Amino acid sequence: MTSTRATAPAVEFISASKTYGTVRALDGLTVSLHPGETVALLGPNGAGKSTTLDLLLGLRNPDPGGRVRLFGTTPRQAVTGGRVGAMLQSGGLMEGVRVRELVELACALHPRGYPAEQVLADARITELADRMVGKLSGGQEQRVRFALATAGDSDLIVLDEPTTGMDVTARRAFWSAMRAQAAQGRTVLFATHYLEEADEVADRVLVLHRGRLLADGSAARIKAMAGVRRVGFTLDAVPDGVLEAQLRALPGVAELDLAGATVRLRCTDADATVHALYALGLHPRGLEVTGLGLEEAFVTLTTRAEETGHRVTENKAGTK
Amino acid sequence: MKTLVKLEITRSLRNKKFMFFSVIYPPVLYVIIAGRDTTGNMPGLPVDLKLYYMVAMAAFGAMTAVLMGNSERIAKERETGWVRQLRLTALPGRGYVTAKIASAATVSLPSILLVLLTGATVMDVRLAAWQWGAVALCSWAGSFVFAALGVAIGYLATGDAVRPITMLFYFGLAFTGGLWLPMSSLPDWVRHIGEWMPTYAYTGLGRAVEVGEAPHLADAGLLLGYLVLFAAVAAWLYRKDTRKA
Repeated sequence: MTSTRATAPAVEFISASKTYGTVRALDGLTVSLHPGETVALLGPNGAGKSTTLDLLLGLRNPDPGGRVRLFGTTPRQAVTGGRVGAMLQSGGLMEGVRVRELVELACALHPRGYPAEQVLADARITELADRMVGKLSGGQEQRVRFALATAGDSDLIVLDEPTTGMDVTARRAFWSAMRAQAAQGRTVLFATHYLEEADEVADRVLVLHRGRLLADGSAARIKAMAGVRRVGFTLDAVPDGVLEAQLRALPGVAELDLAGATVRLRCTDADATVHALYALGLHPRGLEVTGLGLEEAFVTLTTRAEETGHRVTENKAGTK
Repeated sequence: MKTLVKLEITRSLRNKKFMFFSVIYPPVLYVIIAGRDTTGNMPGLPVDLKLYYMVAMAAFGAMTAVLMGNSERIAKERETGWVRQLRLTALPGRGYVTAKIASAATVSLPSILLVLLTGATVMDVRLAAWQWGAVALCSWAGSFVFAALGVAIGYLATGDAVRPITMLFYFGLAFTGGLWLPMSSLPDWVRHIGEWMPTYAYTGLGRAVEVGEAPHLADAGLLLGYLVLFAAVAAWLYRKDTRKA
């Protein structure tokens, strides 16, 4: 809102669709990313994440009527101008060369390339520099790809499922390297289905489902939108049909699960639920209210989308 | 782009197995086909048989190295997605094609030199110094045409289809262009087609040198035309491929 008009969005999709035959991989995506944001593109397999990144990088063109702009130019212009560094899921590496040589190549090809030693250090792969590319493990390959994506002074870093194949330690090192990139003011967009990553690393989360943008907001916001707090308690007796209906009708209850006298509720507004629960005159024992991770928020969102076929918009999500 | 060319050449030199067979088999084939003890001219040609086959085998060997090497490697690099990753750099499309031709030329040069060396030592071929130089240079420069064709085939086909398609071009070109048998021993209709083949023009450069003439402009022109054609097709397929893949 306060940004000047002179600053073009880092990424801009304007009703961009992509159809392969009869399959609509991306359906009217409209979204803008602002310079400096770290954005997670979240979705299950087949949600349209890779198609979105392909359009973004100019590897494919959107269907007629849609548009994709990077920094106010075409994706191809942005790529050849060195404004984008990208790491593809499907991006193979040149074989028969050493890691250092490959990184040197990436540095040389970038219009504003950094010294190779610095790129190796920043990607935390200095110890791999003399290894042959063909002899790396899956996780190591990913880190080399990251080095290629950060070989020069780019404004936008695009990463497709970057931590696939990494163990926990490597993953931690990777995200610290990525945070360092974001701290330099770069826009970072990464696709993932590791939800905790989106939760931990991203300022903003875009949830894609079946080619449509299902939700857009901070991780906390998405969790709130999905109504992801769980309320659990045990009653004195197994509730009858009437009581069950009453429980179901409590404010903020999204889902009810009964196991004997044990009740589990999934709530959009746990505070209101608990308040009304006592107002019913019940005596719940062992009351627990737990916040859920993004994972469950995500499952809730996608299930809801499948049921209603509607997009969950921010205004519908209620206020806080 | 210079870095890519250098790196592609380094890779070729490191690929010892491919290098070894590409380099070793043309001279061996030369000795087997021409025969150590044969004397006399090619039937219907005023050229010594050993000399004829030396030039033909230098061309054949170079063509093998660049055509096989490029087409298969490029098809593989497309499959692994390296070409796609490269597409996300500022490298222009022609940069990739240039680098591939350069790396192929690295393999074809030693192969040519070894055939000529075999000719001079084992087969007792005698030529003037300028003729040796000219044959080597013509064989090498001409191989660029087939390197470009290799790039194009690498984009045309994928996976299992690459090898048979390469073979089709390879044998077709070698046969019709008179690399195995002299053109004079082929049926008329093959000869008429063959005269327009890049392989015929390719060995034509060497044939002119054999009889002490400068390479004919017509041959050089035809080869240049094919080089432009193959490179253009390769570049076009590269653009088309990255749109899709």
